[in-house]
Amino acid sequence: MIEEEVSTIISVIGKSKEELANISKKLHLGLSAEEMSLISSYFKNEGRDPTDVEVQAIAQAWSEHCSYKSSKIHLKKYIFGIGREKVVALGDAGLVSLDDDTAIAFKMESHNHPSAIEPYGGAATGVGGILRDILSMGAQPIAVTDFLYFGTKKVKGFPDPKFIEGGVVAGIRDYGNRVGIPTVSGGIVYSEMFSPNVLVNVGCVGVVDKKKIRSSAITEPGIVLIVAGGKTGRDGIHGVNMASAVIESGEEDITTVQLGSPITKEPLIHAVLEANEKNLLFALKDLGGGGLSSVVGEMLEAGGMGGKVYLEKVPLKEASMKPWEIWISESQERMLLAVKKENVNSVLGIMEDWDITSSVIGESENGNRLRIFYNGAKVLDLESQFMTSPKLYERPSLIEEKRIVQYLPSFPNNFAKLLLGMISDRNVRTREQVVRQYDHTVRGSTVIGPLAGIVGSEGPTDASVIRPNWNKVNGVAISHGSNPFYSKIDPYSGGKAAVDETVRNLISVGAEPLGFSDCLNSGNPEKHKVMGEFVEMVKGMHDSAYSLDIPFVSGNVSFYNEAGRRRIPTFPTILGVGKVEDIRGAITPDFKDPANDIYLVGLPTTDLAGSLYFRRLKKDGGRVPYSDPRTLKGRGWNLLNAMRSGTVNSAHDVSDGGIATTISEMTVGSEIGAALDVSALGLRTDFALFSEPQSSWIVEVRSGREKEFVKYMGEDAIFLGQTQQSALAITRGEDKILTVDIDQIRKKWKRGYE
Amino acid sequence: MEEGIRVNREVKVAIIVMEGTNNEEEAYQSFKHSEATPEIIHLKKLEDRKKKLSGYDIVCFPGGFSAGDYVRAGAVMAARIKSSLMRDMEEFVESGRPVIGSCNGFQTLVELGLVPNVDGDGRLEAALAPNMSNRFEARTVYLKINRGNSLFLREFKEGEVIKLPIAHSEGRFITRDKEVLGKIIKNRMNVVSYVDGSGKEAGYPWNPNGSEHNIAGIANKNGNVLGLMPHPERVFYKYTESDWTREINGTGMGNRFFTSAVQFVREKF
Repeated sequence: MIEEEVSTIISVIGKSKEELANISKKLHLGLSAEEMSLISSYFKNEGRDPTDVEVQAIAQAWSEHCSYKSSKIHLKKYIFGIGREKVVALGDAGLVSLDDDTAIAFKMESHNHPSAIEPYGGAATGVGGILRDILSMGAQPIAVTDFLYFGTKKVKGFPDPKFIEGGVVAGIRDYGNRVGIPTVSGGIVYSEMFSPNVLVNVGCVGVVDKKKIRSSAITEPGIVLIVAGGKTGRDGIHGVNMASAVIESGEEDITTVQLGSPITKEPLIHAVLEANEKNLLFALKDLGGGGLSSVVGEMLEAGGMGGKVYLEKVPLKEASMKPWEIWISESQERMLLAVKKENVNSVLGIMEDWDITSSVIGESENGNRLRIFYNGAKVLDLESQFMTSPKLYERPSLIEEKRIVQYLPSFPNNFAKLLLGMISDRNVRTREQVVRQYDHTVRGSTVIGPLAGIVGSEGPTDASVIRPNWNKVNGVAISHGSNPFYSKIDPYSGGKAAVDETVRNLISVGAEPLGFSDCLNSGNPEKHKVMGEFVEMVKGMHDSAYSLDIPFVSGNVSFYNEAGRRRIPTFPTILGVGKVEDIRGAITPDFKDPANDIYLVGLPTTDLAGSLYFRRLKKDGGRVPYSDPRTLKGRGWNLLNAMRSGTVNSAHDVSDGGIATTISEMTVGSEIGAALDVSALGLRTDFALFSEPQSSWIVEVRSGREKEFVKYMGEDAIFLGQTQQSALAITRGEDKILTVDIDQIRKKWKRGYE
Repeated sequence: MEEGIRVNREVKVAIIVMEGTNNEEEAYQSFKHSEATPEIIHLKKLEDRKKKLSGYDIVCFPGGFSAGDYVRAGAVMAARIKSSLMRDMEEFVESGRPVIGSCNGFQTLVELGLVPNVDGDGRLEAALAPNMSNRFEARTVYLKINRGNSLFLREFKEGEVIKLPIAHSEGRFITRDKEVLGKIIKNRMNVVSYVDGSGKEAGYPWNPNGSEHNIAGIANKNGNVLGLMPHPERVFYKYTESDWTREINGTGMGNRFFTSAVQFVREKF
């Protein structure tokens, strides 16, 4: 077979910028004229024009999605350096330490663009991809999480938001449930801001024996490359390029979305973990964005090796695939295993035992060149470093100066109505119609799931807790933080608020926060304003995380969430993990007994911008709530100590809707009410009840332990009243503010579900 | 300890899996923590005669989505067993040793004709149809124990109300005809039933899938086979029950199923 038949030569040497830009467009490379010029001059030095396999491979590696070319400079400056001494390892996922033997591997990433085009498949493969990232570290996945942002308004030319929501939820359900990892945590935000740019941020948490942690670097020659799992097909070609561009209409190319198969994935997880357990794997990495092209290049480059690959050995779904398609296909459920020669047969045997397709496709070599062959013809011959070092951009950014105008709402005349309205708001009330479609108890290790309290009347929780090892009493707490409403007004404060919320949630269950993963959602980075927002956001995240000394160990960036003139705010979803020393002391928000003291840990605020209260009034004004990481650290860790000493019965963090909503939610799972006097809080009553102070919790103290609790908390604990039967009653001194029956609260909170 | 029970006798448990089975980990741990010796066995190894059922004391079909459940739940797994292993399976059941299947495992047992099997001829007498709500349901349910002669339920009080998690989309137990249902009830084979918090039979969501006669679990006549939709293996310890922070005392609802079966083997075999 002659070379021309298997691959085409792309003529780039000596072409003008315009011609190069056209080539990029024609081949769907998504590269700028400037980047094409770099390719042109590289091949001029090589003395030949590139093959189609070569330009496609470079385009994968240089896509925004794979290379982080617009964000890397900022992430390096603000995010990567924090809390390094607490990081156990970094790779496809990051690891922190749970105990002497065990590390927690976790990551959150977006699957926004595929989900906008094909909600069911996009969301399902989002779950599939994040599971493989955890597996790539040699870790057993123990939990899946998903944070979803749905639009509320139909935009012409795009699918109805209800259709998108149904598809995304079904995709996560059908994949997560089938693969047998519990979906335990996440969130749903409904807002016009996400019409039509739906966001699907998925996370996964796993555990691994510290002695069995694997990396993806191939550091020796003669290491054999095995592709295992699903076969390679034409699904998911140019996925990363699509995710690195603005969506122009609702009719995007559907072949860019991959197809998921959880029933291939489920045994693949077992087989890979079994091979790792037997110390048969030298390195491994999941085949995600960019396919073999990205993964082989990155694994070799990370270990300073070159290598060769034989594309005809890759098991295919369709025999007619061209070499460049095989090389960049993003078909799902595949792992690349790097194995020492003497272990190859054992690894292939394990795959065979689990009925998994696997094939040896190449091996590492000394040197820095990667060479790809197809039926004897050489179709790629490049320095791996050239591919994996794209041009990084410090794109121009513009930070808008906004004038802060204070807005003072008129004093409410019916607090009960206001409160019940907030509790039944789409962004507060139960998500059970979604959550109960996800299996959150599979693996039998879920100590705290997404709902807790009396069976049949469960209320919300702040974080989930998984007991990964039945022979130990420690647990992994998992939660999130994100507030696109604050971020839209002030990306810097929004970044801080997301960190604050993550930490608050973890502490609520009695967990010490250990690490974060960040999924950064934004618009087109070539726009100066968007880049300005991005930089502000990461600065905010930095300022909080740095003060807390908690590392970001993994994450991703999703730019270009724009369609037409509509774009999303720039904001993070943060996945946080924490350690529960003894799961038997974990805490849920449902009140436990009547006649116990209730405290606010924290202080209400007059900063109401972005709050649920203002959103419901359709008003804007003032600042968003201020998060001071030093306050968070002081209060949060004191509260943690109070919990560990057994003085706390229940706790719930203050978020959307303020302390009134927080306390209402604590009545839902408990059928216990509360009698409170808010005079000690000062401020106007509506500010006291509905402002959303950061670093704050409502706590029910264990009977007889009140003095001890107050000793731990000092002035940060403000006495509000006591739990009681049947009603939530709030007064301000002699004045009655509201009395609501807890049945009414439950009905409002369960609206749309019961 | 009663006389004749060999406390140290190793109790070997075969946990049978194929692609899509995904509850084997909690089943494995539950047997392990009941002082048995569980082993996860791929169906292929039984088909290839690399392993034999006769070498085990207990057979467990864990939950999941065997073969993806893209056709009727449990049907593919059952078909594979029927075509190559049915004789071994029947011999195992006839020997009186314990067989348990939860969720997808229950679906498999029904497809195999091992439960309810009121007529004793192994014909298909029932099915687990899609939930009445037409969606996947993950929740904790209240269940009433009608022990009958189930060897798995010996540690419960007759009529005791317990709580177990469910997580399925095809769990509506329906019988082929009224006669089958009548015989199930007459023979007291409906050993686990959905109830409300006060122990009374009630509609959705207490009966989460619309099962006939609120049936959540079925034993065979002899009491050594148990199939149920709820997941005892997920609440082996108290701390994974969904409301444990409200009732800190007591042991896990699930562990009594397993310890009873393991103890039974030590008593009888």
